[in-house]
Parts: sequence; structure tokens; C-alpha cells
Amino acid sequence: MSETHDLPTMLPHYAADNSRMAWIGREIWDHLWPWSRRGFGRHRFLLALSGGAATAVAVVWLLAAAGRIGPSVVIGWWVGWSVFEVLVRMESKPYIKEGPWWGRHYRRANLMDMICYVSFKNLLLGALLFLALHAVGVLDFLQRLPALDWLYR
Amino acid sequence: MRFPRSLLWLGNVLLALLWSAAGFAGSYDAPLPPQLASDPDLCAYAPCREVMPGADSFSLRKGRPGYVEAYRIRDEYEKAGRDGRKDQEDEHQEGEREEREHGELIGYVFLSTDIVDIPAYSGKPMVTLIGMDTRGIIRGVRVLKHSEPILLVGIPEAQLDRFIAQYIGKFAGAKVEIGTSLAGSGRIGLDAISGATVTVIAENQTIMRSAYAVARQVGIVKAVPRAAARFTALNDAPDWNAMVREGAIERLTVKPGDLGLPETGEPYIDMYFGYLNAPAIGRAMLGADGYARLMADLKADEHAIFIVANGLGSFKGSGFVRGGIYDRIQVLQEIDSFTFRDTDYLNLYRIEAAGAPSFRESGIFIIRNPAFSAAYPWHMVFLGNKMDRETRVKSFVNFEREYWLPARYLEGGRPAVSQPEPAWQAIWKAKQVEIAIFLLLLAATATVYGLRDHLVRRATHKDKRWVSWPKYAIWTASIGFVGFYTMAQPSITQVLTWFHALAFEWKWELFLSDPLIFIFWWFLLGTTLVWGRGLFCGWLCPYGSLSEIAFKLTRATPLRRFQFELPQRLHDKLKWTKYAVFAGLLAVSFWSMGAAEQLAEIEPFKTTFLVGVLNRSWPFALYFVALLVLSMFTERPFCKYLCPLGAGLAMPTTFRWFGLKRKAECTTCHACQAGCGPQAIADDGRIDPRECLLCLDCQILYYDDHGCPPLVQERKRRGKAGLPLTPIAGNGYYIPIKPVPADKPAQDDVT
Ligand code: SF4
Ligand code: SF4
Repeated sequence: MSETHDLPTMLPHYAADNSRMAWIGREIWDHLWPWSRRGFGRHRFLLALSGGAATAVAVVWLLAAAGRIGPSVVIGWWVGWSVFEVLVRMESKPYIKEGPWWGRHYRRANLMDMICYVSFKNLLLGALLFLALHAVGVLDFLQRLPALDWLYR
Repeated sequence: MRFPRSLLWLGNVLLALLWSAAGFAGSYDAPLPPQLASDPDLCAYAPCREVMPGADSFSLRKGRPGYVEAYRIRDEYEKAGRDGRKDQEDEHQEGEREEREHGELIGYVFLSTDIVDIPAYSGKPMVTLIGMDTRGIIRGVRVLKHSEPILLVGIPEAQLDRFIAQYIGKFAGAKVEIGTSLAGSGRIGLDAISGATVTVIAENQTIMRSAYAVARQVGIVKAVPRAAARFTALNDAPDWNAMVREGAIERLTVKPGDLGLPETGEPYIDMYFGYLNAPAIGRAMLGADGYARLMADLKADEHAIFIVANGLGSFKGSGFVRGGIYDRIQVLQEIDSFTFRDTDYLNLYRIEAAGAPSFRESGIFIIRNPAFSAAYPWHMVFLGNKMDRETRVKSFVNFEREYWLPARYLEGGRPAVSQPEPAWQAIWKAKQVEIAIFLLLLAATATVYGLRDHLVRRATHKDKRWVSWPKYAIWTASIGFVGFYTMAQPSITQVLTWFHALAFEWKWELFLSDPLIFIFWWFLLGTTLVWGRGLFCGWLCPYGSLSEIAFKLTRATPLRRFQFELPQRLHDKLKWTKYAVFAGLLAVSFWSMGAAEQLAEIEPFKTTFLVGVLNRSWPFALYFVALLVLSMFTERPFCKYLCPLGAGLAMPTTFRWFGLKRKAECTTCHACQAGCGPQAIADDGRIDPRECLLCLDCQILYYDDHGCPPLVQERKRRGKAGLPLTPIAGNGYYIPIKPVPADKPAQDDVT
């Protein structure tokens, strides 16, 4: 049995989905969409939003002060979004997967679990997105736009 | 035993000391005077005499690439009063010619950044001043500025000085390499600086290429002529687009942003260029008559290329008006560079090729040098002047484009060209043996850990040899071979470099240049995902192993009674420190990589393995000693509370695939918890995978029917009841004894 047998297992409702494809689909959706209908009050949403925004602004400000406008916007946005996502998920989807990624064992996440999950996942997504945009030439196109010049210096 | 607070305080004080000491940096990062890069009187701003012993005076910058001539005054009386720079300046202006007449030319001094643009590890060049005598022998080398983190904090300056000193006496045309060179290869091997391979390879190229370029220019080294191209007799006249498509015409574009200028939507320069001697191309471009006229003007080993361009800037620039030299363009063929004077220029009035667009600027340039051969690839270089947005300092940047005449224009096609081996490949070859041993070590570790279930079953909590002996062997190899010998201790700075490479620019060469670290990281990423950070931290990290060995050795002495463990509650709070350190370093690195590298001195790795405690200033040495002493009395204090690398690896460990085994009773039984050195087991029996170092102690207990309380209980119960002890199954319990129904024969009987 696993290291965490004793924690109340918090199954996402699709964990027992019989169809493999449906389950994979729901998992992907879960990774991309932090919200759920349950348990996320309006004021908490605003709290998370302001937390994320404040972090983003702080990071952008710090980096811009160091003279790195372009990457700072991206990094600031990334950090801010991640903070926001952690807060949202702790309310709406407070579980992470335990054990092999292809398995169906989920467990309730504590704050550190969620921070690790969100940062790691967003890092991978960010890298994938970057590679994809690069491959189809969107990044090159954007770099050539005079209107976006300030971003790339 | 109770935890002595004074020790923690000692640790804190030392830490504060260390962080302030990280501010100590060498003299190499002081800013250089801006005139150094451009002032005609180079030696007014650079210590030319130091690199050219015996010189009394120096000329102004001359040539392309730039250098200065060094003179010794023959007559003593002429020397009087000339020692001060002021006097010299006057003299330069008033009577340079006179000085030449009376002085003896003894050599040349040049600044590497005037000649080459080779980024080192930091991405910035190492600004180096080099002195060479008239026979092409290097007489002195001084690094004026560099931004190499490892040399700024860490490896002492004296080592860089020692490295540089190896160049004195070497010939500018020699093939000098880092590392031992093979006998008979005609190459000279130099000793590298351990732990700074990338830096020294870059510096080697910087020094040798600069020296070669100047030696070529002043005629000390003669270029080896390449076999001349023989052209095919093609009769077709390709149009412009066809020539662009096949590579008979190449294009080089530079955006204003590349030069630190605001983008306007128009390129700074958009150049097309091509080789005109090839008859089919020459005729297509100039028409039959134009081509014939051009060829009549050229001697046998002279070559014509055309350049046409649009854009905001100019490839002709204004330099040629002043000095007779075109200073924006250059042709490179391997190590040889070819520049153009006003006498090498011809007007290009009209492009005959159909479909050619119109251009703002055009010209034909003649390469008058037998070293050039159109049969081989060459590069067109546009030399731009880049303004740094923050410092407003201008520096040279090169933009290059390769040109190689398409095969159909060459008799017999393109000749075979052996591309010079990239530096990283040379390093991999030079370290073959180390790499093989290291791979063996990694494979052995993974195998031992993969076999853990067998090993822990054979071990007991009283006799752990089956696990501990292989582990001690791995630790020893890790400390001795990986740590001290190959210095392949992974470090948080590598993680920071990755994040930067991800955010800014990914360069594989940077990571490939250190093979062991490169391999180590792939292994680390893989095993962290499969088993968690514990396999590295608990089994392979040189520093972690050293720290735990210190603890274990102390345990075998009477000092054992002073060993302690922090109370779990305090530990559970303090363990977050390392994550804060990790996040802090990451944040600082985006603000300034240099600052982050200095703060990363919180890792004692450099002091321990890379530089050596005896070579470091006292705050670092003290920090190292304090941590080591602390490690003797409490298990792995650095790993548990401070290590940013451990924290960085712990985070993805949340998703490792295979965890350790637990049983239902673990929630209430605290036997494993009491024996867990890394204090990774919570009161409810749950293992925190981020803190667990996979020491396997709890797994030994899991199968130990003389240690694990539920098993002990069952063993005793069966003993009393006279029942046999069945083997312990994978779930950690004795295989249950199931009574076989009387009417069915037992399975065993059937088979
Ligand atoms: S925590 Fe740090 S020092 Fe300790 S074993 Fe892991 S990487 Fe090495
Ligand atoms: S005792 Fe168990 S939980 Fe603790 S570090 Fe060792 S393997 Fe991990």
C-alpha cells in the first residue's frame, strides 16, 4: 500500500469513470481548468484574484526595475497566475494524484502539495506552449511587430 | 538528548557572516573605462607595458582588427621624461613618425574585444589584453574584465593568473587546446582550471584567435593557401530568385532591435551577397560584358563579391572615408579574416539578373588574398555597434551568414570539409574514462535501489549490512570520485541557469560542456520522477554523503552522547527554510544572476569540492567547518533545513511514481518514526516524500518480524498457538494460514 493510505482520499468524481478515454479527457480538463462548481465563494475568488494580481505586479515591477521588461511580463504573469491557481484549486479541486501518473489514485492536497503541483504543471505547460508557438512561427512573427518592440528588449 | 540551542545560534551567526562574505569579489568585475573600447590611444587606458615587457612607447590603434605597435627607444637620452603617460600622449600627437624612426618595433599589443566576440560562460566576453613580439611569440596576457561567476566568487584569482601565464612563450600560429593533447597531433595542451572548463575554453579561443588575427595582419603568420575553386562551364543564366533559392545569393538581415535600437518595422540592414568569379553567376549578375570586364581587372588569386542592401543602416559606413577601410563588413573563412580597403571597392551600377529588386546601396568588393578559396564555405560578417539599454555603453556585435557556392558551379562539386569539432565534443572525448566510471556508478546505484525489496528483507533493524554496505560503497565513490576527483557536485546554480535558459535563451552547448553534470542531471530528473529526490540526496549527493558519514562516524565514538535531533515540531517548522531559500534564489536570479550566484554560496559545495576549504577566505571556511561540526552531532542539518537544491528536487518529488510501503498499523505505531533520521515520518505515520531520503530504514523494519510491532505480535501469537511462520508477503504481513477444506486435496498435493 502507499505512503499515504491513511489520508481521507478525496476522489475527483471521474476517478471511477469506466471509459479510459473519458477519464483521460477529464484529467486533462482538470489540469487546464482550476475551477469547479463546488466550494468557491465569491469573496474567496476575489481574494485569490487580488493575491495573484499583487504577486504579478510585484514581480513585474521588480524585474522591470532591473531593466528586463519583456521576460518580466511573462514571468510576472506566470507567477501571478500560479499563485491565483493555487488559491483557487485549494477550494475547488483540492486533490492531487498519488503514485504513477497513469494510475487513478488521488489524495487530498495540502498547501505545499498544491504549490508543488501548480508550479510544476505550469512550468511544463509554459515550456510546451513556448515550443509550440516557436514551432508554428508565432513567436518570430510577434518579434517582428514594431508595436511589440518594447517587449523584446 | 535535548537540543543545545547555542549550536543553532552558532549556525545562524555563521550563516549571516557567510552571506555578507558573498559580497567579496575579485578585482575583475570592476567597470572598465568606456574609452578603452574606442579611444585611438589604447594604452592610455590599458596596462600595455605589463603585457609587453621592455616597451617604452606605443602607437595609436591601427589596422583592422585594431592593434598598437610597441617600441623600445634605442637611445637612453630619448627616454628621459617619457615615462609619464601625459608626455607620451603629447608625443603621439606631435611626432609619431619621429618615434618610429628612433624606436625599435618590438611587438604588438591588442585588446581581444577589438578582434573577436567570444562569449564565455556568463554570456559576456572576457576582455583580455595581449602582448606579442615581432616573431609572433606571446609575451604577456592580462584579463582586464570578466563576468564569470565561478571565478568571481569561488575559484581564486591566482588560478586564473596561473592559467593565463601558460600562454607566455607560445607562438600565435600554434594550435593550443585545453587539456592534454595527443602526441603527434601538433597541438599544445594547456592545463584547465578545474570547475571552470567552459570559461577557459572560451578564453583560449579569445587569446589564440586574437593573436592569430594580428599575426596574420602584420605578416608574421602566412595563411595556408586553400585549393582554388575550379568552375563548371554552365551556360544558363539563372534569374535573381533562382540564385537566392539555390544559395548562389545569400541574405543577411539585422533588425534595429538587434542593435538596441527601436524597431520601426524596417530592417537595419537587409543585405544580399554572392560570389562573382563563378562565370554563370557573374554573367547573370553583371551581363556578359560586365563580367568579362571585371575578370580582366582581377589577378589570378583575386575574388570579387557583390553586396546589395536596403534598410536604415549602411554596410559601407563612413569608416572607409576616414581610414580607407570598410569597417562594417568582413569576410571570414575559418580562422582567416579578409577586410576591404577603398582600393578594393568597385561600383556596381546595375544588376542584370531578371527579377532583382531595387537596392539603396550596392558595391563590388575584391578579396586580394591567395588564402581565400571559393570552393570552401565562408562567412559574410556585418559588424554592428550595439548600444546597451541600461549602461548606454556601445559594443561590437557580429552578424554572420554562411556562403558556400552551390555544388553545380564547382567542378567535382563541393569538396569535403571537416568541420572543426565543437568544444563540447572535445571535452566529452577527453573525459571518456570518467564518464564511463560515472555511468557505472549511476547504474549500480539505480540497480541497488531497484533491488531494495530483496535487500531490506535480508536486513534486520539490528543488522542492516545488506543495505548499508552497498550504500557506504556508493557514498565513498560519490565523495571521492564524483565530489573531489571530478567535481561533479550538482548545485542550485545549475537549476537557476536552466530557468534562465528557459526564459531567455536555450543553449545546449552550455549544458553539454560539462559531461558529468549533464549526465547527472538527466539521471536526477529521471530518478526524481520515478522514486523521488531521496535517491540522489540519500545515496549519491557528494556533500550529503559526506555530511551523513560525519554523523555516522561520530556515532561510533564516545561523542555519540552529544548527538541530538531537533524536536519534531521545531523540525516541521524549520524544514520550510530550504524552500524559502530556493524561492529566494530563484527570484533574485531573475533580478540579477550574478547576485544569485553569490548568494548560492549558502551551498558549501564550492568550498568542499570545487575550490577546497584551504583556498577560501575565512568566512567560507568557517561556514564549512561549522556545518561539518554540526553534521557530526545532528544528522544532515544542511540537507534538512538549508539546501536549496534539495528543496528544488523535493518539489517535483510530490509526484514521484513509486513511494515506499506502509501498512495500516503505521498510523498508530511510531517505531519507524523514531528511527527515521531525516524525520520524514509524521505522527500519523505518513511519510513526507519531499523530506524522505530513501535511507530504507523504515522498509527494513517493515519486513522485520523482530522489529515491526504488528509482525512481532503476530510472530509471538503464532508461536504460542504452535502455528508455522509463513513467509512475509509484499504487503508486510505473514501470508495468512488458510485452513484447507477437508473434502478438497491441498494444492501442493496435486502438483
Ligand atoms: S539536501 Fe542538498 S546537500 Fe543534502 S543530499 Fe540533497 S542536494 Fe545534497
Ligand atoms: S526511514 Fe523511511 S521515511 Fe525515513 S528517510 Fe528513511 S526511508 Fe524515508
